[in-house]
Amino acid sequence: MSTAIKNIRRSPYQALSAIFIVSLTLFIVGIFGLVTAASQEILNNFETKPQIIAYLKDGHTTEQVGGLLSSLNSTSGVKKAVYISKNDALELYKKSVGNDPVLLGTVTDWGIVTADILPASIEITAEKPDLFKNIAATLEKSDIVSVTPTGKKEIDFPQDVITELTKWTNAIRMGGLVLVVALTLVAILTIMTIISMKISSRRFEISTFKLMGAKNLYIIKPYLQESVIYGLVGSIVGWLGCLVTILYTTPFLAPRIGSIISFPIPFMAMFILFGALVLFGLIISFLSSLFAATRFVNRSK
Amino acid sequence: MIDFIHVSKSFPNGDVVINDIDFSIPPGEFVIITGESGAGKTTIGRLLIRDLVPEKGKILIDGVDLTKIKPQNIPLIRRKIGFAFQDFRVIPDKTVGENIVIALEIAGYDAKKIPEKVKHTLSMVGLSGKENLFPGQISGGELQRASIARAIAADPPILFADEPTGNLDKKTSLDIFNLLQKINSDGTTVIIATHDVTLINQNIGRHIHLEKGKIVKEEKHQEEKREKKE
Repeated sequence: MSTAIKNIRRSPYQALSAIFIVSLTLFIVGIFGLVTAASQEILNNFETKPQIIAYLKDGHTTEQVGGLLSSLNSTSGVKKAVYISKNDALELYKKSVGNDPVLLGTVTDWGIVTADILPASIEITAEKPDLFKNIAATLEKSDIVSVTPTGKKEIDFPQDVITELTKWTNAIRMGGLVLVVALTLVAILTIMTIISMKISSRRFEISTFKLMGAKNLYIIKPYLQESVIYGLVGSIVGWLGCLVTILYTTPFLAPRIGSIISFPIPFMAMFILFGALVLFGLIISFLSSLFAATRFVNRSK
Repeated sequence: MIDFIHVSKSFPNGDVVINDIDFSIPPGEFVIITGESGAGKTTIGRLLIRDLVPEKGKILIDGVDLTKIKPQNIPLIRRKIGFAFQDFRVIPDKTVGENIVIALEIAGYDAKKIPEKVKHTLSMVGLSGKENLFPGQISGGELQRASIARAIAADPPILFADEPTGNLDKKTSLDIFNLLQKINSDGTTVIIATHDVTLINQNIGRHIHLEKGKIVKEEKHQEEKREKKE
């Protein structure tokens, strides 16, 4: 290890550039890891919610609701249909606003929020999104489903949000993956170039070692140790970058997605991220130096 | 036991550097290979450590045929031969002591025993107290001693010294020669490749004279009883 540290001291700028590129790569890997995990969490949250909501006119009777539910249940593709009364709607509203004093103050443009001003509804979960049309047709025929001022039945499809969100999540994931792969390649090539340059400048020493009977592992060991130091320091710096970014953005993100993702990010999640980044950093630095050093040593006599 | 059996070697330009040479060196022998520059002395050393491969013939070390050895076993053969290079090949940015440590590490020496072994080897070659000096801080004679120290540090059964007295004055040359004799007296097979008349005139050991890659003269000056090295 002392030889590896000596090698780093001999050419500090090469070491700095290797550490910088590994740090940057692992910072991006870390951030995209977190974004992917968060987007999955948001997606899961949306998916657990009903896929179709039909709002009902005031004054409907229990029989009418029972009739609609039974016709929905006999419609192919309906997994579950649940009636949400005005009182149930009020409970859900209270639950969703939590302890927000403004919203819980129950003062709105329409006056006091009571069960009366909230519509009753039927929430439907479908087996497959392509069966929504059948379900919508059944709802369209019903007289108790309320009508908008434009004459349309008041039926919501939160699935559209999910589809849109999935599209965005996949796009972010794909973009992130491309960036991570590109940066990983740059990091590997940078370490390979630096190790190749270093090992090449010690050509005389290496050929002497070989003539003295040194095995390849003895010769390349200091170079492997050197790049492992790059990987380790780079991953720690990259992780610290992620940590600072999270701490900096928490005040912005917490009010917006705090109901879905818990803030501050749990210690265990950051610990797992640290472990993953260190492992990834060590793997890319070790493999790139192993490849560069072995190639050189095998070619020299 | 070293056996060169009808060995020939030529360089890529077609120059024949070793031409059908045939000799054996039993363990513990003191051999001086002489000849003019280009006669093939160094090539014999390079063939011995499998730095070169002959076109014809066989080279055996303790029965192992170097022409058929697997690449992964070459380091093991090289560890049997301490090689004091003509140009010393002492690593310039490592101290004399560190250069010897490298040889011991390569030989797989127990790390705890290395400091003691370094001291012992340096005292054997007369370099006690020079352990922490860099090659650039010592004289030519001392550099040659450092090179020999590195070659014998791991107690190899064979020592090949290539022009060990090149560029050294007569007194220092004789000192080095005496050191090599001392090493030989401990049971190490010593092969010296030289064109230094000071050494040749000592008339000690076996003398093999080469001309244009062929053995033209071989004589034994003095029989000495030596113990075979384990």
